[in-house]
Amino acid sequence: MFYSPVITNASEVSDANGLHLFRYVEDAQQHRIEQYEQHGGYSALRKVLTSMTPEAVTEEVKKSGLRGRGGAGFPAGMKWGFVPKGSTKPRYLCCNADESEPGTCKDRVLMERDPHAVIEGMAIAAYAIGCHLMFIYIRGEFNHCIDRMEAAMAEAYARGHLGKNIYGAGYDLDMIVHTGGGAYICGEETALLNSLEGERGMSRIRPPFPAIEGLYACPTIVNNVETLAAVPHIINRGADWYRSLGTERSTGTKVFSLSGHVKRPGNYEVEMSFPLKRLIYDPAYGGGILGDKKLKGVIPGGASTPFLTPDMVDVKLDYESLAAVGSMLGSGAVIVFHEETCIVWVILKLIHFFRHESCGKCTPCREGTAWLEQIIGRIEHGQGKAGDIEMIEEICGNILGRTICPLGDAAVMPIQSAVKHWRDEWQHHIVHRKCQSPTTFAFA
Amino acid sequence: MSVTDDFCLRVNRTMTEATKQAATERAPAQTVSLTIDGRPVTVIRGTTVLEAAAQLGIHIPSFCWHPKLKPVGACRMCYVEIERFPKLQVSCATEATDGMVVLTDSDKVRQGRRAVLEFILVNHPLDCPTCDKGGECDLQNLTFAHGFDDSRFEFQKARFAGPGVTTTFDDLRIGPEIILNRNRCILCFKCVRANKEAFGEYDLGAYERGNSTEINAAPGHQVDNPFSGNLVEICPVGALTNTDWRYKIRVWLTKTTPSMDNFFSSGANILFYKEDHQNRVFRVTSRRNDEIDDGWLADVTRYGYQIVNSPERLVTPLIKKDGRLVPASWEEALQLVAQRFGDIKEKKGGVCIGGLAAPYLDNASLYSFARFFRTVIRCNNIDFRSDYRMLPDNPESQFSNLCSRPFRIADIDDSDVTVIFGSDLIREHPGEYLRLRKARNFGHPRIYSLTPYAVKSADVADRAIVYKPGTEELVINALCLAAAEQGLVDSSAAAQLKDKISSHTFAEATRRCGVSEADLLAVAGSLAEGRMVTFIVGEIVAQSKARETIATAIANLDHLLGLSRRGQVAVLARYANSKGAERLGLLPRPTEAIAKELAAIWGDFPDSPAYPTDAMAALMKKGELDGFFILGANPMMLYPDRAFMKEGLEKLDFLVVCDMFETETTALADVVLPLSSWAEFTGDYVNLEGRVQRAYQAVKPSGQSRPGFEIMTMLAEKFGEPLFESAESMAQEIERLLRLETTPKTPSEFAEVKVSEEANDDAYPIALFVVDDAHHSGHLTEKAPSLTSFAGEAYVEMSPDLAARMEIENGDAVRVEAESGRIIVPARISEHLNTDVILIPRNFSATPVTSLLSRKRRVDRVKLLKVDH
Repeated sequence: MFYSPVITNASEVSDANGLHLFRYVEDAQQHRIEQYEQHGGYSALRKVLTSMTPEAVTEEVKKSGLRGRGGAGFPAGMKWGFVPKGSTKPRYLCCNADESEPGTCKDRVLMERDPHAVIEGMAIAAYAIGCHLMFIYIRGEFNHCIDRMEAAMAEAYARGHLGKNIYGAGYDLDMIVHTGGGAYICGEETALLNSLEGERGMSRIRPPFPAIEGLYACPTIVNNVETLAAVPHIINRGADWYRSLGTERSTGTKVFSLSGHVKRPGNYEVEMSFPLKRLIYDPAYGGGILGDKKLKGVIPGGASTPFLTPDMVDVKLDYESLAAVGSMLGSGAVIVFHEETCIVWVILKLIHFFRHESCGKCTPCREGTAWLEQIIGRIEHGQGKAGDIEMIEEICGNILGRTICPLGDAAVMPIQSAVKHWRDEWQHHIVHRKCQSPTTFAFA
Repeated sequence: MSVTDDFCLRVNRTMTEATKQAATERAPAQTVSLTIDGRPVTVIRGTTVLEAAAQLGIHIPSFCWHPKLKPVGACRMCYVEIERFPKLQVSCATEATDGMVVLTDSDKVRQGRRAVLEFILVNHPLDCPTCDKGGECDLQNLTFAHGFDDSRFEFQKARFAGPGVTTTFDDLRIGPEIILNRNRCILCFKCVRANKEAFGEYDLGAYERGNSTEINAAPGHQVDNPFSGNLVEICPVGALTNTDWRYKIRVWLTKTTPSMDNFFSSGANILFYKEDHQNRVFRVTSRRNDEIDDGWLADVTRYGYQIVNSPERLVTPLIKKDGRLVPASWEEALQLVAQRFGDIKEKKGGVCIGGLAAPYLDNASLYSFARFFRTVIRCNNIDFRSDYRMLPDNPESQFSNLCSRPFRIADIDDSDVTVIFGSDLIREHPGEYLRLRKARNFGHPRIYSLTPYAVKSADVADRAIVYKPGTEELVINALCLAAAEQGLVDSSAAAQLKDKISSHTFAEATRRCGVSEADLLAVAGSLAEGRMVTFIVGEIVAQSKARETIATAIANLDHLLGLSRRGQVAVLARYANSKGAERLGLLPRPTEAIAKELAAIWGDFPDSPAYPTDAMAALMKKGELDGFFILGANPMMLYPDRAFMKEGLEKLDFLVVCDMFETETTALADVVLPLSSWAEFTGDYVNLEGRVQRAYQAVKPSGQSRPGFEIMTMLAEKFGEPLFESAESMAQEIERLLRLETTPKTPSEFAEVKVSEEANDDAYPIALFVVDDAHHSGHLTEKAPSLTSFAGEAYVEMSPDLAARMEIENGDAVRVEAESGRIIVPARISEHLNTDVILIPRNFSATPVTSLLSRKRRVDRVKLLKVDH
């Protein structure tokens, strides 16, 4: 079977115990259920179904401090606790595998290489919220992930990890693999639910939150792949162990997708609060800047997070440290740019993406992103005018915080920070009608 | 999969409807108090900030908000600032909470609005000078109030392209009436939401994404649903326009006149747009009345006004000379009528004269018609039922009783159990269908539809049950027995009932009507449990020849479960003023109370024999009825045995017909009098609830046409017996009748139900039902060009299965043959139908479907033949 070449740190770390999500990710047979079971797979699910109440599971996850890995960082256990008690409606769990943030490719690796870990995590979460039908919504372009997840699902059914009366514990659970149509917006949980229902993928206004009224107006929990994949480890080794990793408010480990001008781009699982500088420069990780050039800037959490400048990279990769320097952990996609990168060009690429992916529902994002792309495109092509920078700032201000879903914010936050940090370069572009930096840039 | 249908419907609480829901469901209603712009206000919990502000008279601008739809928060125009919220909030989707402090006009809010308007205008073509929406455009008005006077956008505006579209104009015809201009569209999604939520239609959608998003007809479809006109009305800009109105006149040159729908019995409230110098109505829009229409109009109502302007209107009286109708003066025509009727009355007695009035006429016309016949001609041969409802009847019958039961449209909202029995609601009562949809969208009602063929309107139902045609009383009996067998009623009542229904058991009844036992058990269970029940009996029952038996069975069900005590059970009135006609004594034998009141008003009441339409036609054939006066009706078109009616009318000595148009009936007349339309005089109408509503005069009568009451009073004067002392006295008499207490009987005992099943006829194997086309009503709408653009000729609607068996494809000519006649019509294959039943609309004069009908059979049966070319 096709084995996609993605660099991970799994084969390099001498102490494999330092890795949890990625412990067996380099094992070419890990996606098969025999191998997964041999590595202790489905023991957490068995433990949960045979010896724990749903409340105890939720409590354990709450205690572990596990936060959502999709980007927002909302505590997972707390989310599960929002499902209304005593409601007669069915409940649903939906694993959000619509990974489409530029730079982010961690879920893909998990689904391709360790799909049973995702299913086990989903099943435990489903049990905790009292759900009997769970979905995984996979990005349409992820053909390999879809194949692997479907095969894994069939294996799990065949081995009795899914289906009726699992392990004789009287708990029924069914699973559906659903593929998206290839829209970034469907990674936003309410748009995802709309899409899953067969509607146009556009976000819903909240409240009501999905935990109260989600899929088919029933209580629904939407969690990211990485979040759910961490759950079996928490069950197996306990919340206290998980809490011992990372910091007080950012517990456990996190996969960072390192890309851009680094020597070794790839997915690296590290303990929360790992130094960003080490991730970029340590030979076991990024191995330094491509061509040993100087660093220009870093996007620490995916295309929608504000830039960090070289004087800010001495930061730890956790929720609170990044917030302190005005950026976000996001989905953990670290994009590195070296000194010769044209920032206007980068921003043009980003806004092009967000303009293309805006769903068209609310006015500021639909019209604003297109307008921004036109202005930034004009600057990049040497036709910028005096006042364009101020115009960009104003339009960004009119989008930020004014839209239904975070896509609008995601589109403008990197622009705002790029204009703030490299204003001179924007000015240079307008005045001299060309780039300050001589070379072009390509995503590695 | 455990996804149950019940939960497949999203039920977010919202808006006006949500407020109502809060008031009814959370008793006692909880309130919240908040401050908006420094003014305190207390509202019901569940109210949004936008609505709460509206209660204070503070208008918050918006594009995408609609009181009858769930909020989407798409346009972002309705921003407000709320204390403790760092960001601006959209007031249309934010629920008011206790202690909230809201600012609707702060600097931050104004800046937010301006930004949104700027964004909206970025790609808007700003073609206001040539846009038909100019003058009533939300975007124009809000830009005027809140926007910039200049644009900072310096790029080429995005333009849609594609087949039929040039770079400047983007006029795309997406339906028979609707034209879409995507460039002007601001994507408020109101049309798509209304179409889906409120009308249950999927022929319009949003495609592409980002700023390439476009509203368009679903691929391969046209927007031609029976409510499509509303989409144009709710469009806030000039993106959706219709051929009916566009480019004919600027809106500011028109004046509006409040009026009423003249085609359906719920009496939707409308506005006529007219221009004084041209004496013409230009369009109709809704005049929202939440008690009746919720602001939605069926297309028939919206475009039906076009008959008022029709060039085919009769403009002068006509007299038959040498077999031809030639123009004459009113004086001449009335003189002739008075003289001929006078002769007949003198020689053979008033009993040899009869009259038929149309149930869409106003109270004054109907009342003066009745008074003319009863006091001047001195006979009781009058009726207002010229179609299938003409069946012999008496005011004490169970069916008549069921027709006069009270019914409130708005109670549909609050009913937790609704049964539609024998009705294709969209065709018969479109407004009530929308009510049911709303109940479904904003609550959890249980709705059941029971019909002899599958209908589109059953899409609101939890269970759509199809029974064998002609087995209605068996279905109802089975429901009674189901309730008894499940122990839902006390045993003595069950025993009494079983005594009366001895001819079959529950299992037998379900087998004979072809319905599953589980379905009927579910309906019976819901009916027994329902807190508030609405049981709508439709036209399929009303046109059944066994309707008295069916009504008896329904009365048994009502008595058994006490339905009337917990809701409403009624046959709905059919036409705009059917209820008024009933109340004003237009029946040959009005109820005792009405007859007594009439006698009191007039001083006496004729005691001559009373014949309904049906009997009058028989008398004509026998030569015992010589003179006949028809006011607005067209029995040749609607009477369910055309040959029979034709023979009768041809035998008459003297026939007078008043109508707006030349029809099959006027062709047989000796004198034709031009009748004014409802837009041309002020008149009152009684809707199906018994609510009296007034339609004001919008334009002057066309040509020399006159309203019915003028014709009747002029005629009475020719007899030397004026009907009324004054207009006031007439109004007072009508009011006395309308104020008359009507106390319909609720059934108090069980009655025998004589089940009359008809054997199948091998020669004529297919059941035929005559219906109204979804874009037509009665016989006049054929004169409205917009409506004929949706459906211009008759068709035979059949199931895909039947079509396949007969190798018939859409549009193929099909010969439909019955014992009494045959017609050739094109086939229309309907996905909704799934049994061997065909439907043919009765609205097209070129295809007289009534010629296939027989007065003898319970279910009309025909055979089909494919016509080979």
